[in-house]
Amino acid sequence: MDAVDIGYFSLAACFLLLTVPFLVSHYLKLGMIHDTVVSASRMIVQLAFVGVFLTLLFDLNSSIVNLLWLLVMILAATHSSINDVGLDLKKLLLPIMVSFIAGNFLVILYFNTFVVELENLFDARYLIPIFGMFLGNSLRGNIVSINNFYDTIRRNENRYLYSLSLCAKKHEAILPYARKSLKLALKPSIANMSTIGLVSLPGMMTGQIIAGSSPILAIKYQMAIMIGIYVSTVMTVTIGIFMTIRSSFDDYGILKEDVFKSATA
Amino acid sequence: MNTELLKYEDVSIRYGEKEVLSNFNLDINKGDRILLKGRSGSGKSTLLKMPMGFAHPTRGRIFFNNHLLDSDTVWNARKRIAYVSQDLDIYEGSVNEFIEEVFSYSFNQGKLDRTKLRRLLVYLGFQKDVLEMDFEDLSGGEKQRIGIIMSVLIGKDIYLLDEITSSLDGALKEKVANYFLERKEWTLVIISHDDVWEKRDVKVIPVGV
Repeated sequence: MDAVDIGYFSLAACFLLLTVPFLVSHYLKLGMIHDTVVSASRMIVQLAFVGVFLTLLFDLNSSIVNLLWLLVMILAATHSSINDVGLDLKKLLLPIMVSFIAGNFLVILYFNTFVVELENLFDARYLIPIFGMFLGNSLRGNIVSINNFYDTIRRNENRYLYSLSLCAKKHEAILPYARKSLKLALKPSIANMSTIGLVSLPGMMTGQIIAGSSPILAIKYQMAIMIGIYVSTVMTVTIGIFMTIRSSFDDYGILKEDVFKSATA
Repeated sequence: MNTELLKYEDVSIRYGEKEVLSNFNLDINKGDRILLKGRSGSGKSTLLKMPMGFAHPTRGRIFFNNHLLDSDTVWNARKRIAYVSQDLDIYEGSVNEFIEEVFSYSFNQGKLDRTKLRRLLVYLGFQKDVLEMDFEDLSGGEKQRIGIIMSVLIGKDIYLLDEITSSLDGALKEKVANYFLERKEWTLVIISHDDVWEKRDVKVIPVGV
């Protein structure tokens, strides 16, 4: 059983729904109409591009091309997570990229080998969407953890230095901040796991059911995906924080000012 | 051979374009009591941060125990030097949790003497229940006194004290100053506007004049 196609006119009808947020914004003077139009336009362009691109990738189904595409996704995620938190791209590019590769690539390899048991581990139909879900969630986690970690240490510089003056080694002084940031970044994933199915039906499961899969199969996939997302997020944010520490603190244990973008601008 | 614990050699400090201190020299030997005096913005607090590696001279060098202070030797210096500043923002959580955390550091493990802790708390005017209190509920002066207690419990013997009596009342100022000055084995470098520190064996060193 295939999903019912959505015609272009029907899709346009869906966009008519946007008149509701436009009206809300207009009457309550939220000033969000411009942002909504820009965001929706970006979404149309990006998804149209991805739709065409994925069709090509799926038709081609070359392991090398698929892996190169993953690399592009990782680069985009790396750029976004450093840029969004106001850190210097040049200094942190490598450690953040390593965190995304180690956190997501190892999990997808395990996932495709032992969970989905694919013959071709790099089959585009599985590799790209599942990797995208892992990466999207670990990107959110990395942004939260890295932002919180550096922001908190910078705002509480005296407190941090005081730990060093009380004979903490660098890692001992850093650990409470890292611990707090990791907890903060992982909370949404934990909350998501505990409420899934009750509060929301996830997109992937909904998509599978609409596409004709049985709910049981969709649920099995969803469980596996949730675990995969959680593990890849834990790995990415943990590796992300501990890898960036090497290049962000000097040998005196002090946070370098030039890791922040404003310092180099 | 020199026996200085701390040595400032031709130290200059620049804030932005302005050099506030030029070629400052000071030798500090074991047991010395030094009171740094100078106008606000003359670099006194920055001088105190230097042996901890929290600030660096624009020019000049710092020696600790006859070794040039650098990113290797600073970790040894921190084991002996206590730096207690006026704006001590210590911790988020209770005093007890803070103590547990500090004594979980590998260098401090096994050094927590609870009897000595209780004695120091009483001497410095605390009630017993301060251990359960959150740091956020303590005054600036109380945070400083907890800071002093921690350094004493760790067993430090060189104290860099930046305005530690500024937020205390008269009697307590005297008590805290005497506590430090009576311990002849300790080396003290003090910044203070309080005259409780100006005792006979305290050497006043002008800064930035």
